[in-house]
Amino acid sequence: MPTIKLTRRQVLASSLAAGAAGAFGVVPSFGKAQDNVLYVRFDSDLAVIDPGYMVGGVDIETQKAVMPSLVEYATLPDGALGWQATVYCNSVTQRDDLHIDFELKPGFMWTNGYGELTADDVKYSFERMKTTDWSGNFDPMERVDVSGPYTGTIVLNTPFAPFPMVTLAAGPATVLSRKAMDAVGGQFTTEFPATCGPYVLQWAPQQRITFLPNPEWTGPAPAFSEIRALIIEEDRAAELAFEAGEVACTEITPATVARYGDTPPDGSSIKVAGALQYMWMGMNTEHPKLSDIRVRQAIQHAVDVDSVIQGAYSGTTEKSNGIVCPGLVGHRTATKYSYDPEKAAALLEEAGVSGLELDIKTLNVQERILAAQIIQANLGAIGINATVTPVDSGPFWEMGSEAAGEQWKDLELWIMRFGTAPDPYECTQWFRRDQVGVWNWERWSDDEFEALYLEGLSETNSDRRNEIYLRMQEIMEDTGAYLWINHEPETFIYRNDVAIDVYPSGEMDLRDFRPA
Amino acid sequence: MWIYTLKRVGLSIVIVFSALFVLFALLRFLPGDPITIALGPRATPEAIARYSEKMHLDDSTLVQFLVYARNALTGDLGTAVFSERSVATMVFEVLPFTLLLSVAGLGWAMLFGIPLGCFAAVRPNTLLDRITGIISIGTIAVPSFVVSIWALLFFSIELGVLPAIGAGEPGDSLDQALHLILPAFAVGLGWVGYLARMVRASMLEVMGENYIRAAQAFGLPRQTIIYRYALRVAILPTITLIGIGFGGLLSGAVFAEIIFGRPGVGRLIFDSITGRNFPVVQGAVLVITAIYIIVTLIADLVVAKLDPRVRESL
Repeated sequence: MPTIKLTRRQVLASSLAAGAAGAFGVVPSFGKAQDNVLYVRFDSDLAVIDPGYMVGGVDIETQKAVMPSLVEYATLPDGALGWQATVYCNSVTQRDDLHIDFELKPGFMWTNGYGELTADDVKYSFERMKTTDWSGNFDPMERVDVSGPYTGTIVLNTPFAPFPMVTLAAGPATVLSRKAMDAVGGQFTTEFPATCGPYVLQWAPQQRITFLPNPEWTGPAPAFSEIRALIIEEDRAAELAFEAGEVACTEITPATVARYGDTPPDGSSIKVAGALQYMWMGMNTEHPKLSDIRVRQAIQHAVDVDSVIQGAYSGTTEKSNGIVCPGLVGHRTATKYSYDPEKAAALLEEAGVSGLELDIKTLNVQERILAAQIIQANLGAIGINATVTPVDSGPFWEMGSEAAGEQWKDLELWIMRFGTAPDPYECTQWFRRDQVGVWNWERWSDDEFEALYLEGLSETNSDRRNEIYLRMQEIMEDTGAYLWINHEPETFIYRNDVAIDVYPSGEMDLRDFRPA
Repeated sequence: MWIYTLKRVGLSIVIVFSALFVLFALLRFLPGDPITIALGPRATPEAIARYSEKMHLDDSTLVQFLVYARNALTGDLGTAVFSERSVATMVFEVLPFTLLLSVAGLGWAMLFGIPLGCFAAVRPNTLLDRITGIISIGTIAVPSFVVSIWALLFFSIELGVLPAIGAGEPGDSLDQALHLILPAFAVGLGWVGYLARMVRASMLEVMGENYIRAAQAFGLPRQTIIYRYALRVAILPTITLIGIGFGGLLSGAVFAEIIFGRPGVGRLIFDSITGRNFPVVQGAVLVITAIYIIVTLIADLVVAKLDPRVRESL
């Protein structure tokens, strides 16, 4: 049997050679862009990529790279967020309040021999969604009428202005092949029965999702010969991977944004994709300690939100004045209250309240605990003794739910953050009368708010919609039950030799990543 | 020896079932509604109903356990909640990565720790002994996750000589080996100290035995006495420690798997617990527990083979 014999001298010589190579920079290039291969970071592994039963996030990012859709987000000439037809369509047009016409481009082929992408596939996919876990997105849709191999009309059952933005441009509107779906029994989990996109998919669980060029693709050629999405769940690890040059793009945390400041690492840039999240401190209007609106208003005036943003988020997030996020119709730019501790103390005195003790509950997340502690200090300055209680996600999401028992009665103050779709209707729905004890933990209702909500759904005039949602937020604020805090952004860092495209909701659209 | 082996195997089976039951119960007592945590706060009624049915959440905990135990006995570890992938497939496709990391981590720790312990033991109370003591305690005291991050910052970002993330290109052994260096270093560093201290203590005890003195009196070479006679006996408790350590690393290397973005069973369990993906948690823990028990069983049998007194103790 052949053996390798090394003397001690030979081992030492080899080690020295390796060390010298390292010292002079002759080191392997680990995962950096080679042969037009792009490395990006995905923050979780695939769960379910069937649009009807997906979890979201990475599932949607994967769908977008390999599957067709009719509509995608776009920045309009006025800078606002809007929508446009995708590369798969000649046109998508909203004919009237109830009809959206579309015309597919011919010649896009499904993989695995399932033929051409047709309007019937659109009909199958969208009507199927009405029976899936994501059916809510398609509630306003009545049906899809097919008028030709490539043409059809989406028929709504009620005027619903946000439909293209919140449904068609989002993950649930991914188009599937009817024939392929029939072949797999109408549902799948982690393997597309057929794809039709610039890339095809290879998945190594817990390691990477690789996107390779689709040989049957007839659209614009993909920009990269391969995209490797490394699955790195931990944010800090992903940031280190970026700094080590192993990924060209990753989402980063507010703390890292603050650390980089105005000087990200050499050869890289930072991009804020959107801020479709809104955070506030809620107050339970039915709690005996908070039933007097003057007490709630005192709390609104007592907190210096600028300090909260500076202290907890290093000044990297935008102060909020309501629930509608920046860039959307109805976004507020000011509140009716302001930081005024003297006025806050006067309101408390007027209400005859002294020695008030309150509990602030927050998710067990570093930034939110810090925010709660700053609020605690602000409240202490006007004589309110507040405690901060961090809560894990399981019990946190049940705190105000009547279905979970009587604990909502003890809920006093809490820091809450919701994510939303890029239309103001979505974020207002959680505060309606029928949401009291479900998601409206502040427990108020208002007839005008209800009427405006319904009007906003069918109104297509953007000026009028703007008025509607501004007024709805004013009504919310007037209850005294809300202290608006911030809109946390989705922030990405990327190498300057890559042009990235990220949705406002924080999902990467790999189809549109290009060498810069 | 046969009776000892049978008793030891029987005990192992009891341990597997006990661990399974305890874990099963603990998962059910986690705070919060598992459906809300798994599906998110705004899950549709249809999704909630399907999840409940799949997880048997409408049945009693005892029924849930019996269903699971019955399936496990027949080799069916179930399917994941969302992806519906076979749990066995999910576990066994990442298990090699964990085994490799554990072997590499503990392997280099043994290569350095055992000689370090011997080195210290044959020079008791000298300056060199004290220096090795400081090194040993130092490696034990530094938390492994700190070592991981430090190693990443220094070797990957500052020097750029080692890869930071992942397990390397499939089929490229050199690349995979390079990706293994930093995680194995981080995982094994603490064990260098443990093993060195354990071997030193055992060696000191053995070196005072009469048969060692006799060997010295006969004029046998020092190296022969240390490595052929003393270490052979002193290594026995270390073998048990290595067995326990290896088993612990199978699930305990989760910090390295997360920080270095490596696939592995620890990470699979961690992700599944946070997602309340009970079938995967139970399946992965069952496999890990079984391997752990097999490894410690082998270690105990080796020790029993080498030391007859141990056979009498069970």
